[in-house]
Amino acid sequence: MTQRPLELILARNLMSALSTPAFLVDEGGLLVFYNEAAGMLLGKRFEELGTVGPQEWGSLFGPFDEQGEPIPYDDLPLVQAVRAGRPAHAEMTVRSTDGTQHDVEVSAFPIQTPHGSQGAIAVFWPSLVNGNGAGAA
Amino acid sequence: MRVKLWGTRGSIPAPGPETIRYGGNTSCVGVTLSDGSMLALDAGTGIRCLGLAQPDEPTRLHILLTHLHLDHIQGLVFFAPAFRPQTEIVIWGPASPEASLRDRIARYISAPLSPVEVRELPCDVSFRHTPESEWEIGSARIRSASVSHRGPTLGYRIDDGGSSLAYIPDHEPALGADLDSLEEDWISGFELARDASLLIHDGQYTDAEYPDHVGWGHSATGHALSFARRAGAERTVLFHHDPLHSDDQLDALAAEARQKWVELGGDPEAVELAAERAEYELPARAPSAAATASV
Repeated sequence: MTQRPLELILARNLMSALSTPAFLVDEGGLLVFYNEAAGMLLGKRFEELGTVGPQEWGSLFGPFDEQGEPIPYDDLPLVQAVRAGRPAHAEMTVRSTDGTQHDVEVSAFPIQTPHGSQGAIAVFWPSLVNGNGAGAA
Repeated sequence: MRVKLWGTRGSIPAPGPETIRYGGNTSCVGVTLSDGSMLALDAGTGIRCLGLAQPDEPTRLHILLTHLHLDHIQGLVFFAPAFRPQTEIVIWGPASPEASLRDRIARYISAPLSPVEVRELPCDVSFRHTPESEWEIGSARIRSASVSHRGPTLGYRIDDGGSSLAYIPDHEPALGADLDSLEEDWISGFELARDASLLIHDGQYTDAEYPDHVGWGHSATGHALSFARRAGAERTVLFHHDPLHSDDQLDALAAEARQKWVELGGDPEAVELAAERAEYELPARAPSAAATASV
């Protein structure tokens, strides 16, 4: 088993202590962790789901744009952040396992280290436009 | 591979009658590889005595720094081989986006903190950023990895002749993490310590002291032992003693550590507290063979 980069380890440890939904992807864009608050939003704890790739993530939770169309994985702020090495922000809707939809704003930023990009973090905020956001989860 | 502890104290030298047995010098471990190559792990005040023990003859020495806190570099300007023109010294340490390793060390080895400048050292000294990949020194394979501490900090693993030494003197793997439940690949420093013949690991605080020092970059005894047990270390030496801990307190901590190690399912003889001048022989044999100790 390959050791995770320290920066990812510390990011996970920090995210574990936050009450804000937060997601972590590795340098390849693979979702490697989300915290308890994110688990409450999605209706499934990370320990139940485990590491997932783009296809499974999309089929489980969306996310969807304002027109209700699935947002391609490559267009997600997290993926943009890890690939472009730039912060990204978007509004979207995610679907929890019980079918509830949550309007959220997502801010993602890359984890840059002396050895290059090691992944990215995304934090979900309740949408100010619609009341059914992450804070209502 | 032969390992000798020249400085076991953390933070600041702590000489005095109450620290005679475990020692008052700060972090330094001498390693003699199976081919005779010489390494020093960190350059705290303990490296002064390591230097005095080196023969006055042409020598090449490697100093592997985990980080640049003063208790890990303070002995550099009192390292006798550095003042011999026939000595070649290679100093390895963590990279930083802020300045080169040489420039960062020169902040200490320069006026007004030091009577000499780096350029004035008579030896042939060079500085190298420690690579993230494995590399060779003499007969050993060296591996480093960033570990959880304050500022850029490395741990090292040295594999030589079928034995392995893991050196992680400043480490807080339990910061924000439950070491008993976390997956191995998410534990800081785990791969360095995995199945090591000898693990030298931070054990600065007692379990009772740790809650007042969360985030300071060091381990409680219980965390260090949980880490060592999960990593499968054959022999564990708790290192980087708090300067406030007297010999008597460390004796009590050693007994407590052995008891905890037994509770974790280990052999009580496989855990001890680092004592200055203690030596460990890691024979060239199968990796599962344990280290033997003598003081």
